[in-house]
Amino acid sequence: MNRIPFNIRLVLPAQLTIMAIVVVPTVILLWLAHTDWQPTQNIPWFDAEFYWFWNFYDLWYDERFINSVFRTLFVVATCIAVELFLALGLALLFLDEWPWRKVAVSIIILPMMIIPVDAANAFFMLFNERGPINHLITVITGEVFEFSWLSHPTWAMVPIMLAEIWQWTPLMFLLVLTGLMNLPENQIRAAVGLGASPARIFFRVMLPLLVPVISIAVVIRAIETFKIFDPVYILTRGQPGGATETISMYMYNGAFVYFRMGYIAAAALLVLFVVVSVCLVLAKPLRKHG
Amino acid sequence: MSKKSIVTDRSRRKFMQSAAVGATAAVIAPSFIMSPRMANAATLGNVHIEAAKKAKELATGRNITLKVLQPSGSLGNVKPVADQFTALTGVAVEYLEVPLGEITQKILLEAVAKSGAFDLALPATFGMPDLVESGILVNLDQYASKYEPEGFQDDALFSTGDYYKGSLYGYQTDGDTYVMFYNKDWLENSDENKKFADKNGYELKVPDTWEELDAMMAHFHRPDKGMYGGALFRTQYFLAWEWWVRFHAKGFFPLDDNLNPQINNAAGVEALEEMVAASKHLYPGARTNGLFENFEAFGAGDKFCNIGWGGTQKFLNSDKSSIKGRMAFGPTPGGIVDGKLLRTPYFNWGWNYVVSSVSAEPEIAYLLTLYACSPAMSTVAVRDPDGYFDPFRGAHYEDDAIIKTYSPEFLEVHKASMEGSIPDLYLKGQGEYFDELRTNLGAADAETKTAKQALDDTAKSWERITRRMGKRSQGVQWSFLKSIYPSSIRNRLK
Repeated sequence: MNRIPFNIRLVLPAQLTIMAIVVVPTVILLWLAHTDWQPTQNIPWFDAEFYWFWNFYDLWYDERFINSVFRTLFVVATCIAVELFLALGLALLFLDEWPWRKVAVSIIILPMMIIPVDAANAFFMLFNERGPINHLITVITGEVFEFSWLSHPTWAMVPIMLAEIWQWTPLMFLLVLTGLMNLPENQIRAAVGLGASPARIFFRVMLPLLVPVISIAVVIRAIETFKIFDPVYILTRGQPGGATETISMYMYNGAFVYFRMGYIAAAALLVLFVVVSVCLVLAKPLRKHG
Repeated sequence: MSKKSIVTDRSRRKFMQSAAVGATAAVIAPSFIMSPRMANAATLGNVHIEAAKKAKELATGRNITLKVLQPSGSLGNVKPVADQFTALTGVAVEYLEVPLGEITQKILLEAVAKSGAFDLALPATFGMPDLVESGILVNLDQYASKYEPEGFQDDALFSTGDYYKGSLYGYQTDGDTYVMFYNKDWLENSDENKKFADKNGYELKVPDTWEELDAMMAHFHRPDKGMYGGALFRTQYFLAWEWWVRFHAKGFFPLDDNLNPQINNAAGVEALEEMVAASKHLYPGARTNGLFENFEAFGAGDKFCNIGWGGTQKFLNSDKSSIKGRMAFGPTPGGIVDGKLLRTPYFNWGWNYVVSSVSAEPEIAYLLTLYACSPAMSTVAVRDPDGYFDPFRGAHYEDDAIIKTYSPEFLEVHKASMEGSIPDLYLKGQGEYFDELRTNLGAADAETKTAKQALDDTAKSWERITRRMGKRSQGVQWSFLKSIYPSSIRNRLK
């Protein structure tokens, strides 16, 4: 015991606890991913038959799984791009002091505080055939508009992404605003002194300095958006015909509706690999900044 | 010895003959038919009293509370019966409600957790095979042979879903066969009749075939005038059921004897193409509205037809509906096979009383099950205007309150459909088979896949599911299931 340094002895209990919390479920996940265990088999999970790599083989040919991964990546890319664009615009607007600025910030961040299921439900009502969106279009065009947004294979994804963007742009806004407020003023003053236009100052001075903050914001939001579930579940449940099925919806159905625990554990491992790869790419600019 | 009525036209001899067709079916089928039945004093008329007496005996000197896991909205059906059971036996009953579509999952979770969270449950009938395989349901054969009176199952018009691989696992408590609803005013309108007859060569009537129904929906669909062809479901949860009837009505089983899918044959593709074409003549909410929205939509009176169950009629025949008293009813349409009409009414939902294998009091729980499903007490349950259990026993169709709730015209059609219904795909993994089917039918309906592609993809997935579930084991149940299709239908299906 004396051979263990004092500082190690101090952190060991906490480290072991954390290891147990992380390692045990991971080992179970790895084991399940190599079995075809289902609770309906009436055997305990640890007695499940070893299935080698058949789950991964089946996933490779599972059109729904592959489609749901690519669909989720599309949602992530679209939502993050729109959120970042809106957040940058809003943050620039809120950079200077003006009356009621603090109140306006509080109002802007309100959606983030709403329970996601409630937010999704609001969008479900908005985009119903007889909902306010169709009513508004009817009023504007003067013709009865009863488009079924949530059951159209192409358009059903729009309300889902709008719900996500509406709710989480405020987080991106807060992160970007914090970054903007902490930019070194001397470089901006120098650019102003040299007669650079506001656009030039933004694109050549402020934006490069903001890259680390933006990278962090994008990685955080990408990880969160990849897990998108509430709006999909409430608005379409992945329908019509699987056209809005994201990876979380797919895994929810597999694990908690059809109890294919082994198969979905394998899917979870593959998804983890995809998410880590995507995040490494997104976080690449951070490495340049040490 | 009691004859089990797992086939409506099912004398024991007939059943044995059909079971003998497949050797596997012959092995499993007689296990319950031949089980020795202990003599008991119960008859169909007094089974509820005898069950309560026995439960009281078993509970004497103990404080027992049975917990019932039930689908939301069924309290009106369950509680009045359970209250009487409590009054007679002293056994208290607690209710745990879960959303309609999640009860099978909740019960399966209990198969893993084994927490004793409930003693009885009311899962959807189509979920029974998975529940049996999970080990969470008590095999009721031993209790049935002890307490079930002669003719108890014969009296139920549909009890196929109570059995799995030849053993009893629950009692049917809801007669959920598909029935058609029509706007009688439109159907009997002489101007409309003339226009329709001029175009189609036959008059408006309750349609015999899907082809006729589709033609009528197309005729009445005039959205610019606020008239719609139908309120048939196109939401994914319900979508597969209509196709299932359309497909069977073309004369095929969904699987062949070797469990190869037949759903993607020419008949299946044609059935799907016809269904997709019919979607154009439905009201705008057909693809998004759920069960209760569907009731309200048809209740508005601006649609020609709807498909549904007794629960639908309970709503439509109430003061909440503007079409009350102005409806005609019919069985689900059929198809012409070998020159003759083939109708395939479909029992696609329903609820069963089952007993949890983790229950500390399985025998008393069984007795409550028997009590609740007895002719006398199930009449009380079905009678309740706030619940959604529908008639499933002969006595229900003669009860004045039930006749008033549903109307005699509806009950006539309902009873005939119940007696000749085909079962759902009661195989292990039913949910997975149907999820693949639903998703692909949804894709075809949304026109992101052709009918052929959608069914080919489903067939491929079905083959994988069958392989995973074990072809041999699935084959045993499929042979059994085929043997209990009503013979009038079974003999005409390929």
